Amino acid sequence: MSGKSKAFTKEEELLLQDFSRNVSTKSSALFYGNAFIVSAIPIWLFWRIHLIDLYSSLISFVLVTVASTYLVALAYKNTKFVLKHKIAVKREDAVTREMTRKLAEDKKMSKKEKDERILWKKNEVADYEATTFAIFYNNAVFLALVILSSFYILKTFTPAVNYILSVGTASALLALLSTGSQ
Amino acid sequence: MNYHFLLAAVAALLVSTCADDEYEAARLLVSKQILNKYLVENMDIVVKYTVYNIGNAAALEVEITDNSFHPDNFAHVSGELNARIDRVPPYTNVSHVVVVRPRKFGYFNFTAAEVLYRHKEDAPRLQVAVSSEPGEGLVVSFRDYDKKFSSHVIDWAAFAVMTLPSLAIPFALWYSSKRKYEKLSKNSKKH
Repeated sequence: MSGKSKAFTKEEELLLQDFSRNVSTKSSALFYGNAFIVSAIPIWLFWRIHLIDLYSSLISFVLVTVASTYLVALAYKNTKFVLKHKIAVKREDAVTREMTRKLAEDKKMSKKEKDERILWKKNEVADYEATTFAIFYNNAVFLALVILSSFYILKTFTPAVNYILSVGTASALLALLSTGSQ
Repeated sequence: MNYHFLLAAVAALLVSTCADDEYEAARLLVSKQILNKYLVENMDIVVKYTVYNIGNAAALEVEITDNSFHPDNFAHVSGELNARIDRVPPYTNVSHVVVVRPRKFGYFNFTAAEVLYRHKEDAPRLQVAVSSEPGEGLVVSFRDYDKKFSSHVIDWAAFAVMTLPSLAIPFALWYSSKRKYEKLSKNSKKH
């Protein structure tokens, strides 16, 4: 039994190694969409509370939002990559049990096919959880950083400078933090 | 010669002052005050005029006219800029309030109001008095005032509504999956 499970782990490790940092187009669209929304939201704060002049800051809004979208999406990807491995290991038992129970009725299926299905499911669960958590975590950190820097650290700056610096720094810091392996 | 002339002039003044004391007439002192702590563009400014009658007779047909709030610079909200008080009894005071709204921001010189009154019933002509001048005041722009003093509750609430989906949806999806598989793993451990 233990030998089998070890073989299992090796196969899984091979599969996990195949997981590259490149994400699928669907996932990429999800990341960029989310990153864009979260990067554009601070404009509201700067418009309504910091009373930035909308028209004169239009160019900086566009440039900063584009740069921030790219950096936040990068942070999502990196965080997802790190998390996916951890979650795959954590959920291994539960997913195997769930799939074994499901596939037990199908007696025609070969063991190899069953194993592949379990691996596929594990990958799917890890991908799903890593994606959702990466989006939640990075959004929360990004917004917290923007609020902290714009209302406390850069409070004395003019709204236009405050906007560029706080959103720029928050997204850059987020991208930088996500490159850590832990 | 000059010295004598000066003495005569002082004596004449004293006599006239003494005569004034006995003379029954109303004497008005008028103050014009701006009651606001902050003068803000497009927000109410409360101007209070107080008329003190220090004379020993009632002042009649008192008319306060303030032409210092030009319609180009101020919108009139309430109170009369041209008020009329029929009678101000001796040793009493009457106050009058006007509310205006500045249309522009910047420095503004608040000048005096003019008061016309009859200092005794049979006075042939009206007495003219001028109120005190509040002086120059800075009307701050609404933007600056709002930035400094508004709590922005609605703006923050809108911000919360905007950020909620981007935080709550991914968290809910992740949490439901996590719970599902943790429950599964616990159940199987029990068996």
